[in-house]
Amino acid sequence: MTAPTRLGVLARRHAFVLWLLLVIAAAGTALRTNYVADLSAFLPRAPSAEQAVLLDQLRSGIAARLVLVGIEGGTPEQRSAASLQYAKTLRASGAFDAVHNGDNSAFEATGKFLFDHRYLLSPAVDAQRFSVDGLRAGILDATSLLGTPAGGVIKPVILRDPTGETIRMAEAMLPSQAPKSEGGVWISRSAPRAVLIATTHADGADLDAQERALNLLRTGFAPFETQGLRLIVSGSGSFAVASRAQIKSEVERLAIAGGVAIVALLLLAFGGSLRTLLTALLPVATGVLAGIAAVSLVHGNVHGITLGFGTTLIGEAVDYAIYYLIQARSLPGATPGAGAQRWIVASWPTVRLGLWTSVCGFAALLFSGFPGLAQLGLFSIAGLSAAALTTRWVFTRLAPDGAPGMGLRRHLGHAVGWCTAVLPRIKVPLAALTLLAVFVLAWLPSPWRGDLSSLSPVGAARMKLDAELRADLGATDAGTLIAVSAPDEAGALMQAELVGARLDPLVAAGALAGYESPARVLPSPALQAQRQKALPDAATLAARLAEATVDGPLPAPRLGGFITDVQAARTQPLLTRGSLKGTPLYGALDALLVPGNGDRPWRALLSLQAGAQAVDPAKLRAALADVPNARVVSIKPELDALYARYLHDATWQALLGALAVCALLALHLRSARRLWRIALPVASAVLIVLAAFSVAGVALGILHLVGLLLTVAIGSNYALFFDQIRDQQEHQPAGAPLTIDNDTLASLALANLTAVISFCLLAVSSIPALFAIGQVVAPGIALSLLLSAAFIRVRQSATPEGAV
Amino acid sequence: MTPLDRRQALASLLALGGAAAWPMGARAQTAPFDLTELMQLLAKVRAGEAVFTEKRSVAMLERTLESSGRLSFEAPDTFVRETLKPRQERLAVVGNMVTMSSGQRSRTVPLDSVPEAAVIVEAIRGTLTGNRDAIERHFSASVTGNAVRWTLELVPRMPRLRELVTSVRVSGQQAVVNEVVVAMADGDRSVMSITPRG
Repeated sequence: MTAPTRLGVLARRHAFVLWLLLVIAAAGTALRTNYVADLSAFLPRAPSAEQAVLLDQLRSGIAARLVLVGIEGGTPEQRSAASLQYAKTLRASGAFDAVHNGDNSAFEATGKFLFDHRYLLSPAVDAQRFSVDGLRAGILDATSLLGTPAGGVIKPVILRDPTGETIRMAEAMLPSQAPKSEGGVWISRSAPRAVLIATTHADGADLDAQERALNLLRTGFAPFETQGLRLIVSGSGSFAVASRAQIKSEVERLAIAGGVAIVALLLLAFGGSLRTLLTALLPVATGVLAGIAAVSLVHGNVHGITLGFGTTLIGEAVDYAIYYLIQARSLPGATPGAGAQRWIVASWPTVRLGLWTSVCGFAALLFSGFPGLAQLGLFSIAGLSAAALTTRWVFTRLAPDGAPGMGLRRHLGHAVGWCTAVLPRIKVPLAALTLLAVFVLAWLPSPWRGDLSSLSPVGAARMKLDAELRADLGATDAGTLIAVSAPDEAGALMQAELVGARLDPLVAAGALAGYESPARVLPSPALQAQRQKALPDAATLAARLAEATVDGPLPAPRLGGFITDVQAARTQPLLTRGSLKGTPLYGALDALLVPGNGDRPWRALLSLQAGAQAVDPAKLRAALADVPNARVVSIKPELDALYARYLHDATWQALLGALAVCALLALHLRSARRLWRIALPVASAVLIVLAAFSVAGVALGILHLVGLLLTVAIGSNYALFFDQIRDQQEHQPAGAPLTIDNDTLASLALANLTAVISFCLLAVSSIPALFAIGQVVAPGIALSLLLSAAFIRVRQSATPEGAV
Repeated sequence: MTPLDRRQALASLLALGGAAAWPMGARAQTAPFDLTELMQLLAKVRAGEAVFTEKRSVAMLERTLESSGRLSFEAPDTFVRETLKPRQERLAVVGNMVTMSSGQRSRTVPLDSVPEAAVIVEAIRGTLTGNRDAIERHFSASVTGNAVRWTLELVPRMPRLRELVTSVRVSGQQAVVNEVVVAMADGDRSVMSITPRG
């Protein structure tokens, strides 16, 4: 006895025990699995360092920590009063690094810090500034604001800050897209609402912490709700938390709905036998457990969407049970237990081949750049294999003669019998339809133009609200980033200054509205030291000041405080990121300066604001040509390019998968004619579905592609069965009794129906990933069955009801 | 008499003469003159240029601050104030965007994000372009005098702005604005005299 045969015997003898052990192991793994539901699994894995920075920023950078808040309802006075009070509550909570609502009194601490360090931080400080001319000009600039409503900032401090460094710092830090201010708070320009923006302390990727911060926002607003005011919250954190909740509830809903539908169908098909029902669900349960266990072992977690998708697996795995339970029924006069043997000989090779084709198709997903899709692929392969193996090894023991119940299947059998008789007659129109689909596809522009945003489950209404709030707050998504890196903090800040110096001319020329730079908040130590060196000693300053104030508005004798402050600044310790900790400036710096660690360098990010026309990346790159390490990242085009590349890669993977399926069939069937016979209905179904989407103008993305792959994987099973029947008929001597009966065909129809139902459930899902798959697969596999029946003609048995 | 004062006197005379020559102007003298009529009168001039001198008295300073320069406006919403003395400075408002330039520096921000700057800009721009909506949105306005010589008293609507600016008083003759007086809540005061050019 050779080793493989011994193994075979062992497997046959102990199949049930082995299965039980595996199921228990899988269940144990599934119980200890970490289930996740954030959407980052459906962001592609980044191929380049720049894109890694970009995705990192998207997932956990400052943009991911922003919360946009609107207060609506009530009167303008109520809203601004609420905004002031609410912002205080939020600041006191400690959950937010910054809360901005336009209330400048909140910046007292910042103001004091800036004032105390003005000679290190003001961009105007240099040697020229402290010359006689420089002092005179500075004093004239600062005093020009006195006696105007805008002079309020400088008036209390002008004797200590006669050159107006306070104003110069404020100018440099004020955003160029500031919100409208009224009643002391920010308000919307387009709608009656007060607006606030907060930065959560929690990392954007930490959804639990984000959820806590959002809950805090809601509970903190409760007192204002009683006044008839409404809270609106948006931002990527709130989207992520909402998506996660949505995915969770949706997956539960899908699992329940799918389960109920399948059980109902089984009851209809086999009558009310509980035993049959439980048996039929065995491969499904085994498949789901195996899928979860495999994904959990390989990926370390299981995504909610994978689980939601897994419910469709119920639809396909239950097919195996249906095929077996119907096809293994004992024939009249046969010995008990013969059904299983007959099924293993007649049908198992087809089921096995179907399994192989499915595995081939799904294997393409394993190499996907989206971790989420790789999970779907693995889940499907493990799940389907487990379900098929359970059918082959466990069912043949548990139910050696299939399932006895007939339920309403007789009617289904009639209908299918009628269909298989009628459909081949409309073969020509159906073939014409396929040809039409080919022409439509060739004529219409490619529908493959989906983008990353199409994967987001956030509805259009919420996106619109988000865009409105962003416009109100001047927080429109930075279209373009410039990233520079250096081994340390000082280097990164210096690089940022270098880039800033290249950008200033562009701002002056109007090619750019402005930019945010970490060096604006915290100048590099070199620049601070340079400013410090420019400060003259007390005697020199006093002499120059005396000259500079002749005939000027401020008499020198009143400026003693100025001389004292400048002297103190000469020996002031330089500011670092560390010394900003605990000040409100830290949040602003943290957003733009990403600390390095052993592996990655320090990174400074400069975000650009476009003026009237869009930022031209080529112009930027030209301006930054001599700055080493400066990378211009245009976020939207970059992400689109990333997605397009993945779509392109995935298309190739899918085509390779399809090719592998064909090769597998060719190898197994060793007949070009039969390969053509099987490929034709499936390919036609795919083409017709694609053409329909093109005509409907749907933008297709990576998940539609997955759907098509699934259509091929499942649809080819039906074609295989029809081909098997046809082949058997062709090899039978003329006049021999036909083994085909309507009940076998009914098993195909029933399997199809369960699969179509489970994919229809996905098609009404509000999660785009599942919606896209369901939308493609449900019509795709229904068509596959119809076209298989039409294109692969089988002869009818003499007794239409079939033998019972 | 400085050349500037002479021009101003000339302009006043011309304006008076013009008013006397027009029957409509004559009627305006007798009929009650209100904001609507004043704004209609001002709105007839679509664009204009002027020179200004501004004197500001600030409590904490011993001497008055003086500056001078050019003003220009163009309906519907462009207003430029260019200070030439003592330092060159430029404030240009187009729609809701205000650009402040001084030497090499230039900054553009939305006007409505800095209400303390907007209050003066809206008063002067709104008057020069005869934009009644803009005036009424930001101020409670009262007009005294007649078409030949009128005074427009503007009090900011927002309580928070009234804490800064008590009133803006604009006076003029016919469609010509002669003077803008800003009274600050802290007692500071600025007087801007305007003389049309061309």
